[in-house]
Amino acid sequence: MKILVSFAIEPEIERLVGDDWLVENGLEIDTGFLKPMLNSYDESALAMALKLVQESRNRPNPMVLTAFTIAAKGAGPILRTLNALPFDQIVHVDHRSDIRFAPRTVAAILSQYVQNHAHQDVLILGQQTSIGANAKTPLLVAEMLGWPYIAGVIRIASADSNQLEVICQVAGGRLRQQIETPCVLSIGDAPNTFLRVPTLKDRMHLGQRPITEMPMDLFDLPRETEVLTNLEIIQHRRSAVSLVGQDPEEIAQKLFDQHLKDTAIFRSDLDRR
Amino acid sequence: MKFKVILMGKSKNLTAQAEQVYGFINSNLQDEDATGSTVLLVTKEADPSFALNQAPTDNVERVRVGDYHPETILKGLQKLEAAGDTDLYLFPFGVLADEVAVRWACRINGSSLVQVKSIHRSRTEFQAKKAVYANHVMATFRMTRRPYCISLSKDGIAAASIPIREKASIEEHDLSELHADRPSNSEWMPEEPASDLESARFLVVGGRGMGSAGACRELEKKANSIGADFGASRPVVMSAWAHMHRLVGASGSIAKPDLCIAAAVSGAAAFYVGIANSKKIIAINSDDRAPILKAADVVIVEDYKVIMDALAKVILEAKADEKA
Repeated sequence: MKILVSFAIEPEIERLVGDDWLVENGLEIDTGFLKPMLNSYDESALAMALKLVQESRNRPNPMVLTAFTIAAKGAGPILRTLNALPFDQIVHVDHRSDIRFAPRTVAAILSQYVQNHAHQDVLILGQQTSIGANAKTPLLVAEMLGWPYIAGVIRIASADSNQLEVICQVAGGRLRQQIETPCVLSIGDAPNTFLRVPTLKDRMHLGQRPITEMPMDLFDLPRETEVLTNLEIIQHRRSAVSLVGQDPEEIAQKLFDQHLKDTAIFRSDLDRR
Repeated sequence: MKFKVILMGKSKNLTAQAEQVYGFINSNLQDEDATGSTVLLVTKEADPSFALNQAPTDNVERVRVGDYHPETILKGLQKLEAAGDTDLYLFPFGVLADEVAVRWACRINGSSLVQVKSIHRSRTEFQAKKAVYANHVMATFRMTRRPYCISLSKDGIAAASIPIREKASIEEHDLSELHADRPSNSEWMPEEPASDLESARFLVVGGRGMGSAGACRELEKKANSIGADFGASRPVVMSAWAHMHRLVGASGSIAKPDLCIAAAVSGAAAFYVGIANSKKIIAINSDDRAPILKAADVVIVEDYKVIMDALAKVILEAKADEKA
């Protein structure tokens, strides 16, 4: 079984505080100075797939795992880390254009890669990126390929040679099901799914293997049907009254006397009595 | 503009979804040329009369389908919408609605956006706003292809009560032959949350700064001892220190308590949307650069544990005094 995980590399935007959030030209936010990191849903996807494939390595037909990304400059260290973990193949599509809000472009590249360059049985994607937050790419890939789609996946295990067992978190509970391939899996909030850090030895040996580089012009890119016209910072500000005291007991007493005891919660306690 | 609301009659969140759609219609689709109807998808297990009252428009198409699988809903829409004269499809909040909105747009060659907060129409353009950059930034998009398929954001749209009155028209459609081919060996594992964080009046939320699963359990106990419900930020549930039901934020509960104590929470914007509707927010964090400290009503730059211990003592003593 061939498994491909598509992942995004994003700037660590939670490092931006207060006035760092600045819109330029109505459409840009300068994040160039921030450290690149894996999107958190995609890290879950990569970790789950790696565990699944490693468990298959002692079986007669081991799974083959590809990590695929469309990323600009700065992706190198992350790609080498994934190489060292190890993923069987790392594919890097080098893009120079703005794909923050381009889910159809990303989905088209991924589906054309699977159709024209390297057939896969299972595609695994995080449900959305932090920046674009479109929550559409896995769905568009499934539609473009005509494959079944499973949302909210939080666990994957192998079942038969062409089947997987997946658990999905949906409203009201969890659904465990065995699914046929090919399929597209979208990873939701999956607890305890973090990539391990590769050993120095693995970094030196496996991490240095070549990465498959693919230029953008190999792919036919569609026009986006939703076009960004404006960005505006959302302000989350309140009065932020600072409370200090000699010791925790004094602070707690002030907090209760000045801010809590007259709120509806404590008043209603009083009223009931 | 002709719009259609698509509601799933069996949804556990039906009332909340319908009231939010009604609020959205009131603030975004009130001009004279906007005419709407509701496609209410029901199965034989659902309660159609209850669901009918939740329709946010006066004209309703009640459609019986075999199940609520996305493929079933898409096939149903294909049968119902052959005329192709709808300009806007309006889906409620939720993962299923997001999925159907995007896939439906693909199949009818339209455009789609999920988790939309508002729309703006002119003669020549249709624009929609949604949060991006992990809820730090509001983006406006021009949707270039009609029909426009949007699902709503769970936060940032005021819900409105739907007046119970006789519907102007109810069309009935029986598409119960439509169903999806589910795997035969699937198992449904229902989960009932211990408490409903979205209706909590007093909420204590713990963040990554707690440092361990043990500290998280202690804070939960402390919260319960003073009469508060307990929630957690995404890093906490992703580390499995707390159950997923405790998640507060963009991908979890959107709470609106009278009082929220955010303990050891940094205050990432994706978390903050989960407590933004609180009447009062108290932030306790030893890191004086934590963003939550600018977004709270009262801030205490101290170790959350010693303050919570002391506060619990004060509250419990005050309650004991009242009893005496």
